Amino acid sequence: MAHDHDHDHDRTVKPMVDEITDFEVLEIALRELCIEKGIFTAEEHRHFTEFAEQIGPTPAARLVAKAWLDPDFRQLALTEPMTASKEVGVDWMEPTGFGTPSDFTAFEILADTPTVHHVIVCALCSCYPRPILGNSPEWYRTPNYRRRLVRWPRQVLAEFGLYLPDDVDVRVQDSNQKHRFMVMPVRPDGTDGWTEDQLAEIVTRDCLIGVALPKAGVTTNVITDTRPALHP
Amino acid sequence: GSTVTRNAHHIHAVGKGDPQVYAGQAGEPKFAVGEPVTVRDLPVVFYTRTPEYVRGATGKIATVAYESPAAEDETWDRPDATPEWFYVVEFTMAELWHGYTGTSSDTLRTEIPERWLESASWNPK
Repeated sequence: MAHDHDHDHDRTVKPMVDEITDFEVLEIALRELCIEKGIFTAEEHRHFTEFAEQIGPTPAARLVAKAWLDPDFRQLALTEPMTASKEVGVDWMEPTGFGTPSDFTAFEILADTPTVHHVIVCALCSCYPRPILGNSPEWYRTPNYRRRLVRWPRQVLAEFGLYLPDDVDVRVQDSNQKHRFMVMPVRPDGTDGWTEDQLAEIVTRDCLIGVALPKAGVTTNVITDTRPALHP
Repeated sequence: GSTVTRNAHHIHAVGKGDPQVYAGQAGEPKFAVGEPVTVRDLPVVFYTRTPEYVRGATGKIATVAYESPAAEDETWDRPDATPEWFYVVEFTMAELWHGYTGTSSDTLRTEIPERWLESASWNPK
């Protein structure tokens, strides 16, 4: 492209993208065709996008904090998890009136004990309790995690910095049908007298998947070193 | 989109949820919690959701989960598919994987529709 310099670079907004990728071209083509054919409307597309943009792990963290503080709520969370979800602002029937088409309405909360630790995977794809936990992390969707967690859970957890002693049973939950799962970890030491807000802060997304344990003072997800690919 | 045929599922499940919309359609569950079951090695043509790693393995029922058409039928949108019971089945890792290096009481749970299960001839621990 010819580059004439009759504009001021310092005061020119950069283009958002250098070029449109094949993926973006196809996304636009598919979306516009679906709208044109009446498969869904532009309004429905916007509605679902807005739903997908407001989900995140905060309600799940709050649910765990409430359960730690209130034995009755804990019981409700374990026996009627979707009723308990409503108390943290998540209605599993949203946004369609029958749930999301891919997350279903068969939610279950797996309670850790001092002798059982749960960790979740979808070996077949990336099934994840999105309405209450938000979008799945990139590593959760990788063939690497899906292949290895079911076979070598302790080694994979160790790579996340979670070393479990042998008197704790590891229980891997493969979410391969309509159930979606999240982990309710054991309340850690050093949190006596903490408020619900304080407790919710240490229940990170990784704790809710089961690749980390909540710890006083730790309020962000695990950061692991990743080796670069040999032949990228 | 309300007149599109493929939205039929949405319309029938609204207000109920999925799999709740299939409740009461599968009859009595064949297996109960704690019962030992072996995963059958059914032929798989084009699609299944029963992982290869549990085929032929024996575990025990952890949860009688819900009723739903099997994914093997649902994925092809078969209108005559009959709902069946789904179960969360627990396997001992050491029995699932040769040379498992964790503890002998580590477990794995996965969900399997009734067609894939048969009563086990032995009782896993």
